[in-house]
Amino acid sequence: MLENLETALFYILLMTCTLCMLFYWIWLGTKKELVGRLATYLTILAVLVNTAAIILRMITSGHPPLSNGYEFLLTFCLGIMAVYLFAEFRYKLRSLGAFVMPIPCLLLMFIIMSMGPEERIAQAVPPALKSQWLTFHVITAMFAYGAFAVSFGLGIMYLLKASQEDNQNKLSPQGIVARFPSLEILDELAYKVVGFAFPLLTLCIITGAIWANYAWGTYWSWDPKETWSLITWIIYAGYLHARLMYGWKGRRAAWLAVFGFAAVLFTFFGVNYFLPGLHSYA
Amino acid sequence: MVENSKGLSDQLWRVFSSMKLGLALLGIIALVAGIGTLIPQADMNPEKAKAVGQLWQTLGFTHLYNTIWFRLLLGLLCINLIVCSIQRLRGIYHRTFKLTPPAKLVQVPHKNRLEVLGEPAPLQAALLEVLKQKGYRVTLSDLSDTWSFIAIKHRLGNWGSVITHLSFVVLVIGALLGSVLGFKGYFMENAGNTIPIQEIQLSKGTVSETFSVRINSAEDRILPDGERDNWYTDLSILENGQEVARKTLSVNHPFMYKGITFYQASYSDGARFTADMNGKKIPVVLQDQVQSYFQAPGTDLYLVTMADPNSSAQKPSVLYQVYKGNGADPIQSGKLTSGQTIDVQGSYKLTLEGLVGFTGLQVKKDPGVAVIWLGCVLLLGGLLLAFYWQPVVISGILQSENGNQGTLTLGVFSGKVTVSTHEALEHLVSSITKKLR
Repeated sequence: MLENLETALFYILLMTCTLCMLFYWIWLGTKKELVGRLATYLTILAVLVNTAAIILRMITSGHPPLSNGYEFLLTFCLGIMAVYLFAEFRYKLRSLGAFVMPIPCLLLMFIIMSMGPEERIAQAVPPALKSQWLTFHVITAMFAYGAFAVSFGLGIMYLLKASQEDNQNKLSPQGIVARFPSLEILDELAYKVVGFAFPLLTLCIITGAIWANYAWGTYWSWDPKETWSLITWIIYAGYLHARLMYGWKGRRAAWLAVFGFAAVLFTFFGVNYFLPGLHSYA
Repeated sequence: MVENSKGLSDQLWRVFSSMKLGLALLGIIALVAGIGTLIPQADMNPEKAKAVGQLWQTLGFTHLYNTIWFRLLLGLLCINLIVCSIQRLRGIYHRTFKLTPPAKLVQVPHKNRLEVLGEPAPLQAALLEVLKQKGYRVTLSDLSDTWSFIAIKHRLGNWGSVITHLSFVVLVIGALLGSVLGFKGYFMENAGNTIPIQEIQLSKGTVSETFSVRINSAEDRILPDGERDNWYTDLSILENGQEVARKTLSVNHPFMYKGITFYQASYSDGARFTADMNGKKIPVVLQDQVQSYFQAPGTDLYLVTMADPNSSAQKPSVLYQVYKGNGADPIQSGKLTSGQTIDVQGSYKLTLEGLVGFTGLQVKKDPGVAVIWLGCVLLLGGLLLAFYWQPVVISGILQSENGNQGTLTLGVFSGKVTVSTHEALEHLVSSITKKLR
């Protein structure tokens, strides 16, 4: 009964997500206030549905959502949308939605296309996963990855706007991109979002290390998942230093934000699908 | 000569104080670490690692994270971080504790500036009150001819960056301590056996301790709903044959004795038999699903065993197979229940005595772990200070032309974030004007 409700919620979430992505795109093209408001309301709805789906899963399985890729992807989507909504309200930046919302949408589509129902059902957790540190591990990962997705959207907007400003003469200044906030604001906002997420990513790696020390007796074993999370960490560390270095502010920093998120995705998908290792759960 | 060496050390200092060098090192470390995830590593995948070309093996690509040159990279990064931090200490100290109010208008930050007009005395009072309310520490100028101030909030945030950078050095020291003074090993033993700590299989370091470990019991506990609860091992530490400690451990619940930690790593079922060869009784303990077999002396008969899915606590049973020589197919197989005796190819009689648990324990001594956790605390604390506790520094100067009308010029140091520091300044000014009204 509850399981069926959870499946229904998943499909409602997918539909809401797709709709709000479309509304953000239409809003970007038309600037109709009604469409924009609808997009925001739908995002709020998606966050609520996503939260409900995760809570239901936790009730039926009796453990935090971390036993398989499906559960973590749901958490990841919630993280992205929650951080995005915060950014939209705090900085009045609705155009960002057009670049961030496709990410949870694609993640949910990925679930449909590549995970069969048997991969989605709640699974028993192996003894190694029965640890409180894991709850922190997943919560920090959720917000850190969510924020990195938002900084990715900001990086893309920056690059689009910067390349348009380079070709100022050829393009009409009325274009969609011209309505983005100024480069300076985009850059600073991305910096703030990464600055919010970086300590969380660090905490995520540390809680992972504490747990690994309890479970396997090593806080760090250069497992591919660990190594790639370190690489992600280094890329964002580079990003945070970039603006202190002459000539690295702006465009190169925006590229780093884009690469950083690519590393986040690789840490999640690439490592699970291409590289073997201890961390085979999610 | 002295001049030369001084020049050299100066030059080295300059090289290592460069942030670009640090970032380049970080980039190289990231790249090398990434390559290590693509090439099979000897400690995770020994067979595949052996298949990698000899040249790459010699260069260390199959044990990348333990190579001298990878450690050299980490060492260089440490030196770089230390030099950079020392270089910055003075500046940070001054920016935190020795702020000087501006003496002239040009010393007020230009980029983020606002002006407030009003009578000098109430303006000063309002400003100081608002600053105090908002949690700023104010330093007033001691010059007689100008009234100026500098105020700082979240001043400890200045130290976040240095703490973060030095925490990395602490982490490396912790890792070094572990690899020099510690050891790591593994053993798999069935319940009832005792193993001296000196005889476990080591993958790193050497053991100086001399106690023994007795496995009292090993259990794979399944919950009523069919889910696995955990693996449990009841073990005793024996010093000169005397039990000095006893504990039941399980996955995620390790046990520590004299700085050596035992971790439940794996579990396997097995069985105890007696082989009777013409009246000579040989005890046999076999473990399931591994290359554990019994070759009866003087024969080429190999006995292997596996768990029977229909085995019950009341009537334990196992499945067995007998192979002859290098034959790929078993020549005899079947099921054996507890207490039952069978004849194996006319060579010997086999009796199942009962089931037995095998426990796989990871054994580790790492005196660096405490230092690692200290490094983690510093790292996290530093980052929280740097990003969640950013200092705001506001300074201003009051100029009055005829003593009645004054112009207070306020400026805020923008640092890395211009837009939000400007917001902070606007809030301050609006609070002051509210007070003045």
